[in-house]
Amino acid sequence: MSNVVPVEKKVLSENARIAAELRERFARSGTLVVNLISAPGSGKTRLLERTLESLPEGLRVAVLTGDIQTERDAERLARFGYPVRQITTGGTCHLDASMIMRHLEGWKLDELDILFIENVGNLVCPSSYDLGEEAKIVLLSVTEGDEKPLKYPSIFFKSKLILITKTDLLPYVPFDLAQARANARSINQTADIIEVSTERQEGLMAWMDWLFARKYLRMPQSGGKLIPTGGSPWVVSRSPETTWEERRAWRCGRNK
Amino acid sequence: MHELGIAASVLDAVRTEVGMRPGYRATGVGLRIGALAGLDPDSLRFGFEAMVSDSDLDPLRLEVESANGEELDIAWIELEET
Repeated sequence: MSNVVPVEKKVLSENARIAAELRERFARSGTLVVNLISAPGSGKTRLLERTLESLPEGLRVAVLTGDIQTERDAERLARFGYPVRQITTGGTCHLDASMIMRHLEGWKLDELDILFIENVGNLVCPSSYDLGEEAKIVLLSVTEGDEKPLKYPSIFFKSKLILITKTDLLPYVPFDLAQARANARSINQTADIIEVSTERQEGLMAWMDWLFARKYLRMPQSGGKLIPTGGSPWVVSRSPETTWEERRAWRCGRNK
Repeated sequence: MHELGIAASVLDAVRTEVGMRPGYRATGVGLRIGALAGLDPDSLRFGFEAMVSDSDLDPLRLEVESANGEELDIAWIELEET
């Protein structure tokens, strides 16, 4: 005799449990956590390099970077003086919540303003795993084609920000920016879309503003200042006359 | 790509459910997979069968029902008295 038992359980319920615990910890410490996802070679590490080299002084930032093999990304990112840890998955095509939990050990979340998670290069599997993050961010480089949002709808649906990268290569590839935006919109009506070129340093201000706007939302106690350090050009970053170069020069100057 | 990991999670859940019901064994499991779950049912089936064969759960039937959104749920488990 056989009988069917209704279970109604999430397949990834264990991951969901750990992710919920992480989310609660991040909320308590006020740490903004973003999860960067893209195909291999879309520019996640490069974007992080550009970001880390230009952060305002005093901002406390850390990076967890995932790869199947090697510690190369961690080596690239550690040059900027922020804490960086490599998660080497040894074959697994995504990061899961338990890996994040394990690799946070020893870091004081209370002392972290922003945690960047750089996922394994893959547009499919990372979309299924909640890491307790505030936002998934998907990168789409122009060399990959403007149909990508339609081919990989899951990750474009779940992301709060879509970064179109390597726009300096647009003259050399058959990539229709308007079509890419329309395709992304057909999957996700609310995500922000920002175009960036890390090489030409275009769109980076919009990206940083997006990030700090999220951070600001998390820190109502900062009394209207975007960043608690004060006097940073980021605070007035809405003014169009501050260029990326000026901001970087400001940071570099302060560091001397 | 991560279908094998998902299959492993399903089998773990089946073992947990069976463990709570002495005198029964599982003969089937039903999943609901949303269109946006990012999961290919065929490759999930492949991974599932590879993991079930010669395991303590062999034979175990897999039924997949399509769903909306990002749903990825175990809907039911079929049990048989041993």
